[in-house]
Amino acid sequence: MRRLIQRLRYWTGRKRTERELAEEMELHRAMRQEELERSGMPGKEAGHASRRAMGNVSVAREDARAIWIWPWLEGLFSDLRFALRGLRRDRAFALAAIAMLALAVGLNATMFTVMNTMLFRGFPLVQENDRLVYIQEQGPSGCCMSYPDFEVWRSQAQAFEGMAFIAERPVTFSDGGESSIRIVPFTVSANTFELLGVQPMLGRDFVSADEGPGAAPVAILNYRFWESRFGKRDDIIGSTVYFDRAPATIIGVMPDGFDFPTQSDIWMPLAHTPELHQRSGLAIFEDPGGFLAFGRLRDGADLDEARAELETINRSLEAEYPETNRRVVPTVKTHSQFFVGQDAPMIYGLLWAAGWFILLIACANLANLVLARTVGRWREFSTRIALGAGSGRMIRRILVESLTIAIVAGALGWWIVNWGVRGWAAATASPYQILDHTVDSGRLAYLVAISVAAAIMFSLAPVGRVLRLGVNGPLRGDARGVTRDPRGKRLAAVTVATQMALAVVLLSGAGVLVRSLFNIVGAETGVRDPENIVVGTLRLPPDRYPSPESRLAYFDRLEAQLTSIPGIDAEALAVSLPVGNRYPRAIEIEGRPSPPDGSEPVGLLAVGPDYFRVVGASAISGRDFNNGDDRPEGLPVAIVNQRFAADFWPGEQALGKRLRAEDGEWRIVVGVVSNIMQGDPLRQQFYPLIYVPFRQEPPPNQRPASFLVRTGVPPDQVMQVVRAEVEQSDSGVTLQDFATLKASFAFNRDRMPLAHAELGKNAAMAPIFAAIALLLAAIGLYAVVAHSINQRRKEIGVRMALGAAAQDIRRMVLGDGMLPVAIGTILGLAASLAVNRVLQSQLVGVSPNDPLTMAGAPVVLILVALLACQIPARRAMKVDPTVVLRND
Amino acid sequence: MQFLRSTSDDALQVGESSLYPALQRLLLNGWVKAEWGLSENNRRARYYVLTAAGCKKLRTKHEQFEERIAAIRKVLEAT
Repeated sequence: MRRLIQRLRYWTGRKRTERELAEEMELHRAMRQEELERSGMPGKEAGHASRRAMGNVSVAREDARAIWIWPWLEGLFSDLRFALRGLRRDRAFALAAIAMLALAVGLNATMFTVMNTMLFRGFPLVQENDRLVYIQEQGPSGCCMSYPDFEVWRSQAQAFEGMAFIAERPVTFSDGGESSIRIVPFTVSANTFELLGVQPMLGRDFVSADEGPGAAPVAILNYRFWESRFGKRDDIIGSTVYFDRAPATIIGVMPDGFDFPTQSDIWMPLAHTPELHQRSGLAIFEDPGGFLAFGRLRDGADLDEARAELETINRSLEAEYPETNRRVVPTVKTHSQFFVGQDAPMIYGLLWAAGWFILLIACANLANLVLARTVGRWREFSTRIALGAGSGRMIRRILVESLTIAIVAGALGWWIVNWGVRGWAAATASPYQILDHTVDSGRLAYLVAISVAAAIMFSLAPVGRVLRLGVNGPLRGDARGVTRDPRGKRLAAVTVATQMALAVVLLSGAGVLVRSLFNIVGAETGVRDPENIVVGTLRLPPDRYPSPESRLAYFDRLEAQLTSIPGIDAEALAVSLPVGNRYPRAIEIEGRPSPPDGSEPVGLLAVGPDYFRVVGASAISGRDFNNGDDRPEGLPVAIVNQRFAADFWPGEQALGKRLRAEDGEWRIVVGVVSNIMQGDPLRQQFYPLIYVPFRQEPPPNQRPASFLVRTGVPPDQVMQVVRAEVEQSDSGVTLQDFATLKASFAFNRDRMPLAHAELGKNAAMAPIFAAIALLLAAIGLYAVVAHSINQRRKEIGVRMALGAAAQDIRRMVLGDGMLPVAIGTILGLAASLAVNRVLQSQLVGVSPNDPLTMAGAPVVLILVALLACQIPARRAMKVDPTVVLRND
Repeated sequence: MQFLRSTSDDALQVGESSLYPALQRLLLNGWVKAEWGLSENNRRARYYVLTAAGCKKLRTKHEQFEERIAAIRKVLEAT
């Protein structure tokens, strides 16, 4: 350490110290001369003799300097100056190299950050996310959770430091004023925030007494809600708000950016209602994500241990309560498995790999560029070697230049990462997926590491060449001898082939993903002109509309208002929109024994009389619903879809048959209607469906209802009016998903099964990567071909002088350029057969070896490659033999 | 320099300027201190003085050297 300070002191005062050293040595010499003169030597001779005695003064001076300053450090500075000068001189090269590398490292590090976020980082602000596991139950009838089971886990399981339970509770919220809104707070175990390791920023956390029987109702606010609803008032703590008109006290505000487990405005202590304590688990109205338990693993315990332990407990519960717990197993998952999906590691691993493909392609380009540049400086390098520069010194010079490029590119890449991650976060934000998108020093370290690795990668080829470079070659004649080195040519061909192979893999991967997405959003839904249908989903405040009669009265009012809007052709209510939920029920068909283990449940939808007219379904046979049917006391009728008729009465007349849902009343089938997509989020199949009149089976309390309006005018002209009418019908009603039906068919991750929720992001990212890869590969090919033509101008001139036509030259250039492209394409296709198989679980309605994609990807690639070769080929054709040959 | 040459009976002879890198190394390690002063005939000259750390180092090095020489001698005489 002291030495370092000494060195620094020397460095700052080095001019003076060096002068002093020179003075000192000169004094030494002068004294020697005087001494010699005194002993009788003539003055001039004494001067010479004294100098001889001193030895090599400049070497000594250099040695003295080298003691203070590490010589390599000094050399590094000189190399850096040299590199900067070189790059400034060759600005086009520098800019191209920096732009390409910045893009590649930026994308790569962005994908790395995204992958980390999706797979490992969990919730923002939460401590040690990787120790948290999320638990639900899976039974024969589906998910979700039974609180009594949870209590057994909590008291018996050893693998956990603590566990907490979370349940949704939709309520109307009011802060005492007139207006109330419907919100869906989470009710949580009192130890939830403590387990997460997050403290309220204002007020206090829940304590176990808050959860106990008869405790005063309390609530903790989300920062966002505190800001939007209360304008960040500090005195909010202790004030009273109303949930379903019952007062509660606000006791805290959570810090900014905290959401758990999905977006929510308010947290309340778990309400120990009789329903919660039902052994059979909680009734689920809509989002099954609303009930879950989570636990923090004890030190040393891991996910598998926890799972095994809970499974054991569940088996004993099954023995104890065979009625309710038969075949009920716990599902224990990490954050990424629970909120992003089981396939998340594959999906984001592949996206990251795509980032590496891009980086490799860019490095191959850079290697070729740097190599071409080094070849252009052969004479300079040879001269330096001839003058005694060691090859180590030359290699260092190349490396320093590459590192300079990498550092600048890395800085730009850092900007791309920040920008890219922010863009990604904004574009993919979902209220059901809370993620930590902060870009921290770990990401910076990664970026620096890959930038340096890239610099080393693309310096390897030129370094290899320098090592083989002798003094003789280039200095002797012109550069021809070196540049036609077949090894260099082979290297360029290999890089081109590799780039093309990588591009093909990305193109075909992107192809099958995009086709999957199109297979979902472009699927036949059975709806005619969905762009002319305006839809919305309504939630009635449960406290104001407790009875079915009151709800029906509201719907009467709403329908009257909607039909009065000019420009509207038809209007209908429905419990669910096309493509939405199908509300499956067990059914019974008259004259058939109901299967003992429950047949496959069938979707049953209550729809208004004009529903089929609005969606544009065609009647196959029978009649439509009419207003007479659409009364609570109307004739019990049903309309089935084609698929139902074909499944249950193949070759028979469906009309007049009778059926019923579970224990409902018997209904007569009065019509068969064309298939409309329902209940399959991936939109790959039509399920059998039964339609019943809306007012005979209106949605139960808490369940939403939808309306559909077919407009005769462009929908944007009436949407404002429709919204106004809905809001006027009752200010307490919340209107959700208000859009055209066409817009509601767009890909929405929150409505997809978790396994395909990330498909939208994949299918959006993959083509971007593929396009960039294609572009970079094309640039690389262009550069290689153009460079080789530059080197071969004389040869081309000779060929032309000997009678080659322009077409022959073109054929020669294209042949040379396209051969590695063809090889790369074939290799790439082989590789993508393997890669696409990994993607299988993400694909919808398309095979991993989709022929269209597998044929399309090489065609696109070869077209682009031809274009990239064509430009230099044209230049080659313009070579004038007389000029080229005279020039030598 | 002269001292070196005369005490070693001219067996050790080095270029006089190579004294300076050695002095610089001693300076860097803090084993000597350098001061400007006046020489006998009133010229600016630099004087190097052994520091305490330098003395200690010299002693240990000297001992090590003696040990090593003794060892080599023993080996040589044994053959």
